[in-house]
Amino acid sequence: MSYNKVILKNGITFHNINSNKFKTNLCAVFLTFPITFENATKDTLIALMLKRGSKNLKTREEITSKLAELYGAEFDSGIDKSGDNHVLKFYLESLNEEYLPKKENLLEKSIKVLLDIVFNPNVENDKFNENFLEQEKEHLEQIINSKIDNKAMYALNRCVEEMYEGKPYGIYKYGYVEKIPEITAQNLYEYYKNLIATCKIDIFVSGNNTNVDRILQNNEIIKNLQDREPEYVKEGSLSNSNTEKLVEDKMDVSQGKIVIGMDLKLQNAEEQYWAQVYNTILGGSANSKLFQNVREKESLAYTVSSNYMRLKSNIFIRAGIEIDNYDKALKIIKQQLQDMQNGNFSDDDIKQAKRTLEATINNIPEEQDIEISYYFGHELSGNKTTIEEYKNKIENVSKENIVTIANSININTIYFLRN
Amino acid sequence: MKIIENNTVKEKAYFEELENGLKVIIIPKKNTNKKMAIIGTKFGSIDNHFIKPKTKQEVTIPDGVAHFLEHKMFEQADGTNSLDTLTALGVEANAYTTNDHTAYYFETIDNFEPAFKELLNYVFHPYYTDENVEKEKGIIAQEIKMYDDDPISKVFLNALQCMYNACPVRIDVAGTVESINKINKDILYDCYNTFYHPSNMVLSVCGDFEPEYIINLIKENMEKMDKQDRIDRIYPEENPEICEKFKEEKMEVSIPTFVIGIKDEVEDTDIVRKELLLNIILNCIFDENSKLFKELYEEGLILSEPDLEYEYSNIYSHMMIFSPSKEPKKVYEKFKQEVSRLINEGIDEKTFNRTKNKIYGRLITSYNDASQIARAFMRDYMNNIVSFDGIEKWKKINVNDANEMLRNKFKEDKMILSVIEPKN
Repeated sequence: MSYNKVILKNGITFHNINSNKFKTNLCAVFLTFPITFENATKDTLIALMLKRGSKNLKTREEITSKLAELYGAEFDSGIDKSGDNHVLKFYLESLNEEYLPKKENLLEKSIKVLLDIVFNPNVENDKFNENFLEQEKEHLEQIINSKIDNKAMYALNRCVEEMYEGKPYGIYKYGYVEKIPEITAQNLYEYYKNLIATCKIDIFVSGNNTNVDRILQNNEIIKNLQDREPEYVKEGSLSNSNTEKLVEDKMDVSQGKIVIGMDLKLQNAEEQYWAQVYNTILGGSANSKLFQNVREKESLAYTVSSNYMRLKSNIFIRAGIEIDNYDKALKIIKQQLQDMQNGNFSDDDIKQAKRTLEATINNIPEEQDIEISYYFGHELSGNKTTIEEYKNKIENVSKENIVTIANSININTIYFLRN
Repeated sequence: MKIIENNTVKEKAYFEELENGLKVIIIPKKNTNKKMAIIGTKFGSIDNHFIKPKTKQEVTIPDGVAHFLEHKMFEQADGTNSLDTLTALGVEANAYTTNDHTAYYFETIDNFEPAFKELLNYVFHPYYTDENVEKEKGIIAQEIKMYDDDPISKVFLNALQCMYNACPVRIDVAGTVESINKINKDILYDCYNTFYHPSNMVLSVCGDFEPEYIINLIKENMEKMDKQDRIDRIYPEENPEICEKFKEEKMEVSIPTFVIGIKDEVEDTDIVRKELLLNIILNCIFDENSKLFKELYEEGLILSEPDLEYEYSNIYSHMMIFSPSKEPKKVYEKFKQEVSRLINEGIDEKTFNRTKNKIYGRLITSYNDASQIARAFMRDYMNNIVSFDGIEKWKKINVNDANEMLRNKFKEDKMILSVIEPKN
């Protein structure tokens, strides 16, 4: 495996991941820029509109039949919040040449199609197609409204929203229904042009290939993109200062969902490794305190876990419980937090948590999309820690370090979805 | 050991049947650090009525036993829990239960050998007590309630209940809160002793190994076991007609979701070829390149490619199409019209070839990942299929085969519609 970066233009980076582990090539384009309440809705709409046709593949059907011809190349797009940034992600996965029934240069074709979709939309008279836009606005409204359909995700999003009310991270990543009507084919295209001219652009190709940088450097679309000084957010804003703010929503559900949003006060970048070990012992595996006590001992839940959000220095505890068991579950969860503060966990717990984390780190080069996300994380944070260094840093975390984290924690918000 | 090599995907698989009847598959895979081991037993939620091979006693069990048993396999007599042991080794371990099988697996980069020994140990050493069975009921009740709030699980279950009259595939895999309360340790032992004999199981391993190393590890770590007679499973007779044409339920969701079900019959046929053709046909009718999708997309009735699946076992066979839509009934009408148009006019060669290429891409891509490979070989081998067959059969099918299958399998009187509607 090798990884290298080529600066194609100022603010436009090509990341080449050469690996012989896979039968496929995965190409990705990420567009990164600050998320705003004003524009989040437009961002999603752009991702939807780009799938409706490019200069060379004029309609959605032309795009999809082209992909089918490329042996079922899979195009995918997504929208993420990365700290206070919005990231539009576009992927194209296709077979490596070696596995084609007839030889052809599938990688070059795939890259061309992907770049064409992202950077060459089908526009006339300086605006997007009005019919397509009306359809996609309706589509977007459904996407936004569907946030209630997955109850566990809904509860998590609501907790984040409460903690970051009025802050960029509190913005719903797909935007807001009330923002849809003001978007027109013209102002959206204006916005798109400005976005493409100013955002941070990262292009990834993972697979067993040679000369990929040449393919990209010779690509007309890349040649036409301009240098830029991208304004993405490195250090985002913190959550609103709350202490155990209680929020309850009611819905017609048979299971209650509890989400506890917590703030970590880290003194420096090294402490994020301490936080990872802390989180794994608390609720990051089947051996964790939450899993063992809430589920195995008390039979209160089927799902219970905690997640560490590095970019925001938060830990979210989540559990699906019987609604009447709310007080009991909360008490047991808080007891685990208390135990962590008091150092009531063993060296074995630490050792096991480190092994779990080490396994996750070792798995990074084994899956193409995970490896891409890993290098993208480096790109945004400026962190250059190698996989070996990363494992060492985890290995060196001590019990005191973990207790330090435990005592820096503040419960910001306790959210409960119930009937 | 029997060796089967596939030159298209450039992989090899080794097959061995041990003295105790356990079927073992090893797929050595170079250039990967990831390793996966999975052991499955042919015991799923449909197996709720059977004759015990030793005593010949006939048994009927409550709904949800196969799944309950899966939860209870990890606890050991010495007070340890194998899920904890495996997690402590840094491997990712889990288990799942379906309609027709249960499987236990782990994937890892390091510590393969101790984890593999643990897997072979716990799956063959049950330990059920009144207390640990009682304790699990609260956990599984929460699992059932989680799925109760999930519109996707509901709409699929209702579709099965529309298609089938008596076949136990219409029962939820986890059972109900009431049915799991009837489960006790004796029921679990009865089922364990019947279905967890090696001769009812398949073990599949994928990673960068020498096959002999795996075989020896298995032999060294399994106790001798007597052979077991075949298990007589008793299934109710299923009327080939559908049970209900339509079912609707209301939940707190933003948009309706639907499943169109097409009931098929269990038949003695080349199932690999049939599955391949049905997948291609479903994609020709309704994937995002299809005429039908284009029409529905433009009307705003379908927004992304529906899930298209064909499922079968020895007692059921059906296709299901799943998607959200603001007007499921309209989609259903258009779907039926499109099917009858295609039956009359035939799928054209260009559409067929494009779809066939797409399916080829998916077949090859499924060999990227050790866990996906091990899982597919295990599941297929339970149905006496070698997974490579799909690639070989792919080379031999043509548009006429697809059109013949389309005419035979897409009958309107075998179709059902299941819908979840938003409340209010």
